[in-house]
Amino acid sequence: MWLNPIVKKDVRVQARSMKICWGVFAYELILALVFFLAMFVIRQDIRYSYDNIYSQLVWLYPALASAQLLILGMVVPVRTAASIAGEKERQTFDIMMTTSMTPFAVIAGKVMTAILQSMFYVAASMPVMALSFVIGGMSWSYLFWFMAVALLLSFFAASIGILCSSLCKRSIGAVLMSYGFYLVFFIGTFLPYLIFYVIDADNIARVTTYGGPVYSDNLLLFLLVNPIVYVVEFFGHAMAGGTLMGEMVSQFSAGPIAFLTDGYRWIAFSSVCIFALSCLFLFLAARRIDPVKKHRVKHADGGKSAGKEKDADRGDASLRTHGK
Amino acid sequence: MLQIEHLSKSYGKFRAVNDLSLHVPKGDLFGFVGPNGAGKTTTIRMVCGLMLPNAGSITINGVNALSHQREIKKQIGYVPDFFGVYDNLKVKEYMDFYGSMYRMNSKEIERISDDLLELVNLSDKKEVFVDTLSRGMKQRLCVARALIHNPALLVLDEPNSGLDPRARVEMKELLLNLKSMGKTIVISSHILSELSEMCSSIGIMDHGNLVAAGRIEDVMESVFGSNQLIISLEEGRETAVRIAREHAGVRIDSVGEHELKLSHTMTQKQIAKMIGTMIANDVVVTGFHKQEGDLETLFMRVTGENAGQEGEKENVAESYR
Repeated sequence: MWLNPIVKKDVRVQARSMKICWGVFAYELILALVFFLAMFVIRQDIRYSYDNIYSQLVWLYPALASAQLLILGMVVPVRTAASIAGEKERQTFDIMMTTSMTPFAVIAGKVMTAILQSMFYVAASMPVMALSFVIGGMSWSYLFWFMAVALLLSFFAASIGILCSSLCKRSIGAVLMSYGFYLVFFIGTFLPYLIFYVIDADNIARVTTYGGPVYSDNLLLFLLVNPIVYVVEFFGHAMAGGTLMGEMVSQFSAGPIAFLTDGYRWIAFSSVCIFALSCLFLFLAARRIDPVKKHRVKHADGGKSAGKEKDADRGDASLRTHGK
Repeated sequence: MLQIEHLSKSYGKFRAVNDLSLHVPKGDLFGFVGPNGAGKTTTIRMVCGLMLPNAGSITINGVNALSHQREIKKQIGYVPDFFGVYDNLKVKEYMDFYGSMYRMNSKEIERISDDLLELVNLSDKKEVFVDTLSRGMKQRLCVARALIHNPALLVLDEPNSGLDPRARVEMKELLLNLKSMGKTIVISSHILSELSEMCSSIGIMDHGNLVAAGRIEDVMESVFGSNQLIISLEEGRETAVRIAREHAGVRIDSVGEHELKLSHTMTQKQIAKMIGTMIANDVVVTGFHKQEGDLETLFMRVTGENAGQEGEKENVAESYR
């Protein structure tokens, strides 16, 4: 089986570095802090209630899982944002592009390395995560759903990072641009709905009071690619069986939004949208780093030179002198 | 092997390569010479598929390099002027990494890299981390890396820049060794003396134009045009100049205190007659000899004009890279 050489090399190099050890240590340390904080909050909550503390330990799951997703969301784009820009800074990028590796294979290799690393962190945190399943009584399937969500969001974060890396010459610029992209997805996807809500508030109030189809809620469809909404929806289903989007839309909503906010449809469609957008980012990044992407060459032979041509080997270098 | 036809590349309004046509036959060691910003690196980058030309065609081993990039990459080994390293990677892993990039299997890579490391005299460094090698060793390793997939054409961009004299000699020997094995090599360099010792043919670029190309002897003859004669004098300089001027086909290049440099188209007999006339007119001639043209003189002559614009061109090209 052919393993992407970039993955093989990067994993090997990382394994030798102390960075990975410190990375896991920091990751586990943050999770431990979140764990103790969550335990403290749970204890405070049950002090004046008749609830059993063991049943409340189920809340460790969203606390630890969201902490992990937050860390991955911060770390993964940094890894990929520094990858292509780092190759350029190291001046190894040109050599890489003269090999048989396609630009997409290079991009895929870098993204796969970042995802592998993030999954390594997630796997390392499993013993802590398992507490809420063993003691809290959560269904074990949610542990695997969490891993799937972490995988998808790591892929998304990595694809944003790699796109920015292909756009910037310097690693630091690529990292900053990645976080800029995050803002666009976190806040920018809310904007169309908020702007429309402000502009057309009277009409929306009238419709929701007297009934009738509300189409403006379809502007919430932009949130399909919002990772925060995605995570909240996921935990909403896991912990409360309800959905955030179901709360946000009006009972008179019409159009696709009414269909998508029913049951698990939002999660399913959001997963597809995030995955598709990530693939688009990879494609754009691959296109961006391809040195011969714009094939608009005016061939000397009028463009008929494609394919094998007879090499007119004249035995010695042709002597030419041109006037300056 | 390498056929370039009417190649042009512009960065905005700046023309980096202008209508370049060139042919490098199989097994040749071709030297690319030119001042900074002449367009050598741009040409090399276009040949290696790192940049697209605005016009023209590049054919390598009979395959159009612009429309068959994937196929062409298997035919080219590229050695850049700067050797970037990955931390924590050993020499044999470095070779394995690049071998895998050409989809070679592990056994094949191991076998070929053993041979190549022996060729570049790094067999004993297989287990050493690449970033701990000296610059000369890194550059030799880079050549070995470029040969891992057995390319038909090896392209080296200023491989000797920053190397100490010993490393340069080792690199020169390595390239001559490769040439004797039948590899076609294109090398760009500023070190003209080394190029003249290694290369069988050269191309001189200036301001994006290929001002001269071909076998070194042919280029010399075409550029210098006539023979040069140096006459050493003890006395009678003015008389010697006057007599030389009286002869048809003689041009006086320089007049020193005890030396007269001439370019001429005379036969041996006519030269002897002219020297005889000088001696008969009381010129004390202590000796005379024919001057052989060298690559440095040739380079200075064909690139002598517009030398001041080099830095500016380099900056423009760099900003577009």
